[in-house]
Amino acid sequence: MTDESFLEVTDVSKWYGDEQVLHDVSFEMDRGDVTVLIGPSGSGKSTMLRCVNRLAEAQEGSIRLDGEDVLAPSTDVDDLRREVGMVFQGFNLFAHLSAVGNVALGPQRVLGLSKAEARDRATDQLERVGLGNQLDSYPAELSGGQQQRVGTARALAMEPKLMLFDEPTSALDPELIGEVLEVMHDLVEAGMTMLVVTHEMSFARAVADEIVFLDAGRVVERGPPEQLFENPEKERTDRFLDRIASHD
Amino acid sequence: MSVGAALALVAVVAADSVTAGSISGIEAGTSVVGSATVPFQGDAVDDWAFVFRNMDYLLGGTLVTIGLTVASILLGFVVGFPAGAIEVYGDGILKRLVSAAGVVLRGTPIVVILVVVYFVIGVPQVNLGVYTLSSAVMAGILGLGFRSAAYQSQIFRASLASVDDGQLEAGRAIGLSQFEAVRHVVVPQALRRSIPGFQNEFTIVLKDTSIVFAIGLAELLTRGYDLFAEQTTAVLEVILVISAIYFVLTFTTNRALDYLGDRYAIPEGEAA
Repeated sequence: MTDESFLEVTDVSKWYGDEQVLHDVSFEMDRGDVTVLIGPSGSGKSTMLRCVNRLAEAQEGSIRLDGEDVLAPSTDVDDLRREVGMVFQGFNLFAHLSAVGNVALGPQRVLGLSKAEARDRATDQLERVGLGNQLDSYPAELSGGQQQRVGTARALAMEPKLMLFDEPTSALDPELIGEVLEVMHDLVEAGMTMLVVTHEMSFARAVADEIVFLDAGRVVERGPPEQLFENPEKERTDRFLDRIASHD
Repeated sequence: MSVGAALALVAVVAADSVTAGSISGIEAGTSVVGSATVPFQGDAVDDWAFVFRNMDYLLGGTLVTIGLTVASILLGFVVGFPAGAIEVYGDGILKRLVSAAGVVLRGTPIVVILVVVYFVIGVPQVNLGVYTLSSAVMAGILGLGFRSAAYQSQIFRASLASVDDGQLEAGRAIGLSQFEAVRHVVVPQALRRSIPGFQNEFTIVLKDTSIVFAIGLAELLTRGYDLFAEQTTAVLEVILVISAIYFVLTFTTNRALDYLGDRYAIPEGEAA
């Protein structure tokens, strides 16, 4: 199929016990696209994101990445994840490793690079996120913004073809958010394909090719940012954006 | 010290203890007679002289104690660490078996364990080439070692479970398998957090080696009994010297483990 999108999420549903948290969610994105998932807390944004690298398991529907069936039982999740980078809300840096150790672990243990090669690659990625002077710092010695940049470098060091961002700035003090968004901006410029869950509406508006608005596990509305922010079709979207805007 | 060296150490000294006729007071035939006019209250100078004359005998017992402790702790680690990991990450019948074995071992007095291993089950002696471990030594190591494994499994179970789930998740997210993520991400952090609990366990095992008297092994405390049975006025002196030896052993190992904790402490992280 030549007209298949890079990432195709089709009718994905998921339950936690009896509670359905995703209802037939569908969207697609092309290589180099930036798609932003927005919506109120508990709307299923993060769960949807985590289904893409199978940190959460979708029970129904289909997810295809670059022509491969992500949800197929035969899919090796470790192979999948080495191609899909993830940045976590809580950073989740390996507490016992320095910045360079955090970033080098994947290249060394998963990609099989030598220790020296892995360290070189890690150094490059840390320089890319502006932390070339903090290579040997430990997570507890870094600010939240610095930690999240290390987290981003850790994902980038695997040279992923898709990056997932799960509320990367939600745990940060307001004055530290900018440095993380700046790194994400650079990635957009570099043509990285990115699926982002965030409450940073100005960022979403500036870089997204498409916004997907989720509420109660359903896609309420999706479209390019101008349309969705300026002329939302659904009243629910309008209300959500109003409420967010009053906090901006 | 390697396991082999520790075992060899026990073998040498235990072999000596079987032929334990070397209390010097008896051989010389002097000290007992003159000082026993009032039981338990002798001439202090004479009693200290008695203790120091028999220092070799006590130090031999100390080596048995050290050998048993090191071998038991190592066996306890080799068995207890995987057992703790199975309790955290395992499932099904294996996890239930491991949990049940732990409950039984922790719920049984150590004397009972040793007696069952030595007299009921029975273990063969083991020839290490140069040295031979008697079946009593083997039973002591197995009994103390497996009981320690049951306790160590709980130290490691708790420390593995205390590492935030996000750590494992982040490891999986870069493509590490479950085993690799546990090994490279969770275990290094859990081991650091295990050190305080491990210090306790080491101290407990060291002192509990004295219970091997129940299967006829003459370690430090048993040899102390031998001594003041010969010179009944020297009870206090013998016990003081033995206590000092135990103190030196526990103090140095605890400081060594403190050093290890500091050496591998995570900068700005929680204290190990």
